[in-house]
Amino acid sequence: MKGIGGRIGFVCALMVLIFTGFAWRLINLQVLQHDYFSLKAAEKHSIRLAIPARRGRILDRNGEELAVNIPVRTVTADGTHIHDAAALAAVAAPFLEMTVPELTQKLSTKRPYVVIRKTVSEENAQAMIRAMEKAGLRGLYLEEDAVRSYPNGEMLCHVLGFVDHTGRGIDGIEKMLDEELGGQEGFRMIEHDRKGREIVVYRGQEQLPEQGADIRLSIDMGLQAIVEKEVEATYKELHPVGATAILADPITGEILAMACRPNFDPNHFNQAKPEQLRNRAITDMYEPGSTFKIVVATAALNEGIVDEKSRIYCENGSFSYGGKVLKDHHGNGDLSVSEILMKSSNIGSAKMALRMHDNSYYDYVRRYGFGEKTGVPLHGEISGLVNPPHRWDMLTKTRMAMGQSVAVTPIQMVMAMSTVANGGKLMKPRLVLSKGEGNGQQEVVPVREVVSAKTAGFVAAALQRVVSDQGTAPLARVEGYAVAGKTGTAQKISPRGGYLDGRYIVSFAGFLPADKPKLTGLVIVDDAPIGSSANYGGLVAAPVFSKIASRAVRYLDLQPESAVVMAQSGNASTAGAGTH
Amino acid sequence: MNKNRRRTTNSLEVNVVARVIIGAFLVGMAALFFVYLKNQQHAVGNQARVTEAALREAQAKNEGLKARITAMTSRGALQRRLDEGYIKLDTIRDTAIARITPAVTAEEDGVLRTASRDPASRFGPGAPQRTINR
Repeated sequence: MKGIGGRIGFVCALMVLIFTGFAWRLINLQVLQHDYFSLKAAEKHSIRLAIPARRGRILDRNGEELAVNIPVRTVTADGTHIHDAAALAAVAAPFLEMTVPELTQKLSTKRPYVVIRKTVSEENAQAMIRAMEKAGLRGLYLEEDAVRSYPNGEMLCHVLGFVDHTGRGIDGIEKMLDEELGGQEGFRMIEHDRKGREIVVYRGQEQLPEQGADIRLSIDMGLQAIVEKEVEATYKELHPVGATAILADPITGEILAMACRPNFDPNHFNQAKPEQLRNRAITDMYEPGSTFKIVVATAALNEGIVDEKSRIYCENGSFSYGGKVLKDHHGNGDLSVSEILMKSSNIGSAKMALRMHDNSYYDYVRRYGFGEKTGVPLHGEISGLVNPPHRWDMLTKTRMAMGQSVAVTPIQMVMAMSTVANGGKLMKPRLVLSKGEGNGQQEVVPVREVVSAKTAGFVAAALQRVVSDQGTAPLARVEGYAVAGKTGTAQKISPRGGYLDGRYIVSFAGFLPADKPKLTGLVIVDDAPIGSSANYGGLVAAPVFSKIASRAVRYLDLQPESAVVMAQSGNASTAGAGTH
Repeated sequence: MNKNRRRTTNSLEVNVVARVIIGAFLVGMAALFFVYLKNQQHAVGNQARVTEAALREAQAKNEGLKARITAMTSRGALQRRLDEGYIKLDTIRDTAIARITPAVTAEEDGVLRTASRDPASRFGPGAPQRTINR
């Protein structure tokens, strides 16, 4: 009896131990290691579904779309779901623009994720899925994607830039504002059934994407189209190495148009050569030539070295200084500051510079923004080259006065001319008006006051005479409007030192209407093979400026000022003579 | 002994049986309702998935069409059409333009606006006095 009781007790104790073990294991699985096994289970069934953010559009100042997105699909295959690769390929191939053998080969895999084809149109992708459902096949899936499109093609290509195949900005605004445009990708944790379809009931954590901001540029496409057309015509007619034109608002510093040649189509950027990709308005520096004379004139006037009535002896066209002879195109005697600018006298400018202290002159050059980046939000801007006084030789100051021994970028030159136009304030070039909907226009703040309004006004009036029959740029005139500006004709620098014979960079920088400027413009034609006798800023760049400005004022509906024009035009029949 | 056992075992508590049956029925119904609800949840989820897919498809089509419209009405495309002679631009002489606002000068903010984009050019109580130049 005692033996039976003992055995029963033993069996009971054994059972208790076994079930205690089971209970412990259960607690261990369900409680103590709950997080670990939950994660394991989630890994097995849950996937992190990325929700792509829409890239922001790029718009012009009037809301015209310059860069948009075209939704496309990326077709992927799950090899573990494919039972008959040939049958699936036969159904899907026509929609993917692939041959059946080619697709069959790609589908003959057991890998769970294979990209079959990118940038499939929405229509084709949906039609393919419907055809697969009809045939009872599975194994091909769609992912959301988008390609960037630039509806205007080559127009404004250097400003817009482009994106690579992953949608990352590579150049232009696309690169500089990539973060704002790109937005933030979202995600959703989902579980799927054995057919790969999401089980919505078990939807987990979700974060919606932050869509990319639309960027509104200061560019006016109406003006841009005008500039592009004239620059293109010049490029085709004269076959220069390059051509650049910029229009800006001198009051706000807003860039209204910017075009360079050669250019490229950002929709097919991979077909472009390196020289086509370069935005010459910000990446190229050149010796500005006589357009730079506005710097020495305003500096000397502002410092009181000369005044409106001062007359400077211009040595009848030949001035020996520092062991070299400096020449003018035409010999002149005494000239006022206004006449020096009008006739573009190298000697007069050099003498004004010589009267100034080195540091003071250098300071003015720097105050105009030369030798530093303007801060325009474009990739690859350079600062130009302005040597400090301790690196000058005896001739440097006289050469700088006429735009040699100094290198500037086109954007710097436009902002310098805008400084004269707006009463002496250097503005920061603005290319972006707003980012996103809630971000209003920023306040316009000048970088600094370079010269007094009086000085700027006097030089602006002098620059009107440049466009007169006695000046160097009568071809820059615009019928009905007073134009002020300055020509520039500079020999190209040889990579081996010195200058290249017969090769010039010619330019015209100006603004209009001269009294109340609304537009500043710059046209640069780099090394047009047309012969030295015709290759002058007044003959090559000024007419292009005139054509651009004539159409621009009409587009902007600016009121003509006939009286002023009568005074400026004088004898119209002599236009073209005496240019420099 | 046998008589007593029969007497005690034959007693049947109808109330208890009824309660058990009703309880079991309620539990069963609750379980079935739970399953029904779960199925409904899945069905609705499935519908939501299909609707979301349809919405995405519609949005994508809309985006695609908008992009095509943009491409077809872009300046580049219009210029091409103009060059091909498909469309034509007629010059309007200054004398043939009736201005509904004075010629535009820069606003206070320095922004240049063409007549057509100037909000002041709209007719209305707030619009400035209009002049006509010919």
